[in-house]
Amino acid sequence: MAATKGFFTDTTLCIGCKACEVACKQWNQLPDDGFLFSGMSYDNTVHLGGSTWRHVAFIERPVPLNTQDGGAFSWLFSSDVCKHCARAGCLESCPTGAIIRTEYGSVYVQPDVCNGCGYCIVSCPFGVINRREEDGRAWKCTLCYDRLRDDLTPACAKACPTESIQFGDLDQLRERASERVEQLHRRGMPEAYLYGASAEDQPGTEGLNAFFLLVDKPEVYNLPPDPVAPGKKVKDAWVAAGAAAAGMALAAIGAVLFGGERA
Amino acid sequence: MNRTVRYKSSVEPVYTDGRDIDTEVATLTGEAADQEASGAADKHLKHEMQVWQQLPMPQPGDPTYYNVPMLNEPVWEWAIPTYYYVGGLTGAALVLSAAAQTGNSRGREELIRRCHWIGLIGASVSGGLLIYDLGMPSRFFNMLRVFRPTSVMNMGAWILAGTGAMAFLALTLRGRKNWRGKTGEIAGYLAGIFGAGLATYTGVLTANTAVPVWQASRKILPVLFGTSAMSSVGALFELTVENSEERRLTKIFGTAGQIAEFAASIAMEKQTSVVPRVGRPLRRGLSGFLWRTAMVLTAGGLVLGLIPKPTKRRRLAAGIAGTLGSALMRASVEHLGTASARDARASFQQQRAGYGAAELANRSNQ
Repeated sequence: MAATKGFFTDTTLCIGCKACEVACKQWNQLPDDGFLFSGMSYDNTVHLGGSTWRHVAFIERPVPLNTQDGGAFSWLFSSDVCKHCARAGCLESCPTGAIIRTEYGSVYVQPDVCNGCGYCIVSCPFGVINRREEDGRAWKCTLCYDRLRDDLTPACAKACPTESIQFGDLDQLRERASERVEQLHRRGMPEAYLYGASAEDQPGTEGLNAFFLLVDKPEVYNLPPDPVAPGKKVKDAWVAAGAAAAGMALAAIGAVLFGGERA
Repeated sequence: MNRTVRYKSSVEPVYTDGRDIDTEVATLTGEAADQEASGAADKHLKHEMQVWQQLPMPQPGDPTYYNVPMLNEPVWEWAIPTYYYVGGLTGAALVLSAAAQTGNSRGREELIRRCHWIGLIGASVSGGLLIYDLGMPSRFFNMLRVFRPTSVMNMGAWILAGTGAMAFLALTLRGRKNWRGKTGEIAGYLAGIFGAGLATYTGVLTANTAVPVWQASRKILPVLFGTSAMSSVGALFELTVENSEERRLTKIFGTAGQIAEFAASIAMEKQTSVVPRVGRPLRRGLSGFLWRTAMVLTAGGLVLGLIPKPTKRRRLAAGIAGTLGSALMRASVEHLGTASARDARASFQQQRAGYGAAELANRSNQ
C-alpha cells in the first residue's frame, strides 16, 4: 500500500484564477454544467457537484485583512474539493460497495458499480458528491486516481500557478501546513488556522485527506464548523428502531390477546 | 453520445456534448468521459439565484456563503416516500399476522391469509418503487452483491428481500400437510420479524444522514415510521375489509399505532426544536404544511374511529383519514429533509450549538 496522499489547499495563496477547475474538467473530460450567471461575485460555478470536482469560492468581505491593502475590504479565495475523509460518510452508506478506499487512501466511486441510489449524497457532511440526472450515477473527485497510478500529480495541483493547491504524502503536507500557519502568524496574520488537518482537529471525520488553511470561520467558505460522518451516530437510530419493533410486536400480541373472541 | 444545443437563440447555435472535444484528434477516455450532457445541467441549480442589489454584508455572528446551500439536497422523489408507506404497511401487517398465528381468535385464519397477501404484494411493489427511483435501475442487484452493515440501505435491501421471500413461503405453504405446513408456519413468524425490520429501518435510513433535521430526529424517526406503519394497517382494514372479526384485531393494533404516532410526532417537534433553525421546516413552507396536515389527519382518523357505535360512513372516513395521514407523514419527512438541506444555517447552527461531532465527544466524557 502506497503512502496516504492528499491535498493541502492554502487559501491565502489562492488568486481565484480557476485554473484548477479548468484542469480538472479537461483531464477528467467532464462536461460543462451549463452556463449561468450566478450574480455571486466571480463565482459562477457555485457548488461542487456531479460534474464539478473543483470549485473556487470568491468571498468579498467588508473586513480588513492586514496582508491586503483594500482598507476595510478584503478578498478571500478558496478552491474547494472532495475532502477524502478518513471516515467518509459516502463510503459507509454506499449499499453496493461502489465507493471504495484506494491504495492512496482516497475515496473513489467505481462508475461501473454505482447504481445511482442517491444515499451517498445525503450522507456527505460537506455536500460534495452528487448524482447526475443524465447518467444516473453519483460522481465526485477521484484524486486523479488514473494520474496517481502513473506517478503524476493530480491535474488541479499541477495547474495551480501559486501552489495554493499542494499535493503529496499526507504526513509531509501536515508538517508543511503547520509550518505555514506559524509563518503566517509571525508575519501578522493571526487569523490563519488549519481546517480538518487531523483527527483531533475534526473528530467527526477523523481528519481530512484534503485539508485547508483558512483565515475566517469555516461557514464563510461554505464549510461546516463541526462535520460528522452520519454513521458515527447511527447507533442511536438502530436502538430506536429496535424499541419501535419491540413495541409493534407487543401491540400485535396485545391485539391478539384482547381483541379476538375465542373460536 | 447525446448532444445539447447552446446559444439557441443566437445566429449560430452550437451543438456540443459539453466538452468541445474534437473526437477526430482526441479520444474520450477520461474518468468522466461517459457522462452525458443533454442540457439537464443547465437546470442543476434548483434554488433561485439572487443578483446583488448591494454588496452583501456578512453578519459576523452568522456567516454563510451567499446563502448557497452547504449540502447537496436529496435526489429522492415521490417513489421513496411512497415506498416508506407501502413498506411500512407491509411490515406491520406481517407483524400482526405473526402474532395472530400464536392465538386462536375467531377470523384469525382470514386475517393471517390477508396479511400474507399484503406482505407478498407489498414487498413486490416496494421493490418496484425502489428500483424505479434508482439512477440505474438495471443495477438494482448490485445492492445484493454485498452485505454491508455500515450501509443502512444495504441492510434494507436484504430486509426487503427477506420479507418478500418469507411472505411468499407463508402464503403458499401454510395450512398444507406435513413438513410443508410446518415450513409455512415458521416462514410466517420469520416474516413477522423481517416485517418489524422493514417497518422501522426506513427511519434509520433517513436518520443516518448529514441532513440537519433528519439527524436531529434520529432517536424518534424509526419510532415515528413504525407507529405510522401500524396505523396504516388499521386504516387499510377499516377501508377495505367487511369482516368485523378480522377488524377487531386490526382496530386495536391500528388505534395503538395512531396514538403512538401522534405522540411520536410531538416528540419529533420537541427534538428538532432544540436548535430552532433545525426545526424550522416543521413550522414553515410546504414541508411544514404537509407535516401539520398529516398530524391533523392522523388525529382526525383516531377520533373518528373512537366514537362509539360506528357507522359504515364514519368507519370509511376514519380509514381514509388514517391512510392519508400515514402516507402524508412520509411525504412530509421527505420534504423536511429537502428544506433542511437547502438551509446552510441549519447545519451551521446545529454544529455550533454542539450537535455536530461534539455531541459524541460530550457523551464519551460523561
